[in-house]
Amino acid sequence: MSFVREFIAHLFPRVVRRNDLKLTYTFCLGGLAFTAFLLLMASGLLLLFYYQPTAEGAFASILFLEEQVAGGKYLRSLHRLSSHALLILLFLHTLRVIWTGAYRPPRQLNWLIGFALLCLALFAGYTGYLLPMDQLALWATQTGMELLHTLPGGGILHAFLVPDGIGGSLSLLRFYALHIVVLPAAMLILISLHFYRVRKDKGVLPYL
Amino acid sequence: MIDYVKSSPHFFRLIKRAFVAVCLILLVLAAVIPAPLQEAADFGRVPNPSKSAWFLLWTQELVSYSNYFVYLIVVMGLFFALLPWLPRTRPAERACWFPREQRVVNLLTLASFVLIVTLTIIAVFFRGENWSFVLPF
Repeated sequence: MSFVREFIAHLFPRVVRRNDLKLTYTFCLGGLAFTAFLLLMASGLLLLFYYQPTAEGAFASILFLEEQVAGGKYLRSLHRLSSHALLILLFLHTLRVIWTGAYRPPRQLNWLIGFALLCLALFAGYTGYLLPMDQLALWATQTGMELLHTLPGGGILHAFLVPDGIGGSLSLLRFYALHIVVLPAAMLILISLHFYRVRKDKGVLPYL
Repeated sequence: MIDYVKSSPHFFRLIKRAFVAVCLILLVLAAVIPAPLQEAADFGRVPNPSKSAWFLLWTQELVSYSNYFVYLIVVMGLFFALLPWLPRTRPAERACWFPREQRVVNLLTLASFVLIVTLTIIAVFFRGENWSFVLPF
């Protein structure tokens, strides 16, 4: 296990300035967001064992999870709250980066990576919203999809995301695949890049 | 002379505390706040109003004024994506909150933040049937 500890230790600089350790320097928002992301993945992984990504079975599997599985209701609540926390913390982290000038050269690439992560998180939140297939999920997602039509090129995106309409079997499966495989994988890759660039551009805290 | 301290234990202690704090807060809140679950999806019954997910509600609120506001959203997105490449952006030499040399960016960011939060609050609490303005109490 010392290998793991050393690997994690290598993500951080050997020394830091004492002043950089003041909480108000960054409020640790990026790290907090990553923590929420880890909780999301852990709770989501457990939810995978019960959820059925079919138009007929989705809602029934959620009911089963909530009423028959010990801790199932709690698990779903944790997953949902972690997603809220992730989005809010990412938003605040973005604000902090801008307002402390940490987006400026030589951190342009890292800013782009972070911005992409914010977009991916929003997209993951949106794809996850549909999965319970209750009235709230269905119509919130449908409304969101209608908003897409107002975008130039929105029709193409719409055709890809919901080939048979929101709640149709193919669309639900597509949202499911995006939510549990494609988006988390993309986010993990970008998160790794983000951390790497933070170190490369000097310091986990800005301006070592 | 810069006052350096070793990351272990000083920095790592801070990180661990932040990690544990967020985990505990979320784990406790999850027990207190249940996830809502309504009746099964029914294509024949459209809720009025039909609201999108909370983190997208500000876009719905904006588009409800005029479809052309979607371009404002696109422009905002592009503006923030390309922030480091704006003209007259100079390398940051020292970290500090609200640097004077990026005053315009600070103000635009603050305006965007206030706009997004305000629109979200309006859409969540003050929109009733047919997207009419209602008082939530």
